Amino acid sequence: MAKRTLALCRQAPYGSALAREGLEAVLAAAAMDRAPELLFLCDGIFQLLDNQEPGAIDQKSLRRNLQALPMFGVETIHVCERSLMERGVDTGQITIAGVDIQRVDDTGGFIAAFDTVLSF
Amino acid sequence: MKFSLAVYSAPHSSQSAASALRFARALLEQGHQLYRVFFYCDGVHNGSGLAAPPQDEVDLVGEWQSLQREQQLDLVVCIAAAQRRGVLNEREAQRLEKPAANLAEGFELAGLGQLADALVNSDRLVTFGD
Repeated sequence: MAKRTLALCRQAPYGSALAREGLEAVLAAAAMDRAPELLFLCDGIFQLLDNQEPGAIDQKSLRRNLQALPMFGVETIHVCERSLMERGVDTGQITIAGVDIQRVDDTGGFIAAFDTVLSF
Repeated sequence: MKFSLAVYSAPHSSQSAASALRFARALLEQGHQLYRVFFYCDGVHNGSGLAAPPQDEVDLVGEWQSLQREQQLDLVVCIAAAQRRGVLNEREAQRLEKPAANLAEGFELAGLGQLADALVNSDRLVTFGD
């Protein structure tokens, strides 16, 4: 049986390079047909917010990377319910065309079900 | 057990780069295998041959190099992350028309596919730094 891998996206989108480089790593793996599943948690949920205008701080938008996910076969992503609640974000504010966003209650249990975990 | 390490932090900036090296040594001493060390994000600076820490501090780049020589480790520096941060081998320096190359001996530049490959071929991937 193929190994189940998960990538955690934990960082806010523009404060450090890890958010962008994490998504780049996910897309590179997906291009090799080894797409991990994705869980956005902690400040990582801010990567999913619509209406970002990072041009104001001379940053490239992460939206393009996120929108590329379904092209690489990633059609479902997971979001930590508690991280959303703690930050006052509701699912209406996070949409990616062509991607089903599933909320995860038991984050620890969810992560434990994977064989390997990438953490970004 | 077969391990791979992902190192995200620069040497001499945070403890995690040094912890990665110590973890690598410890797992090898205990008879485990180290399939690959993948340097990503600021971790690419671990592969800079130009780092010159004071003599009374641990030379992390040198330590990685000597461990690599002893154990024939696969030390891979992500090429995309390295280009952004100015860690280049001779070939990349010429191709990008930069004045110098600085990738330390014992390290190699390669793509993110090597991280995906490490995931598939290791029992554990351990990440250092955020």
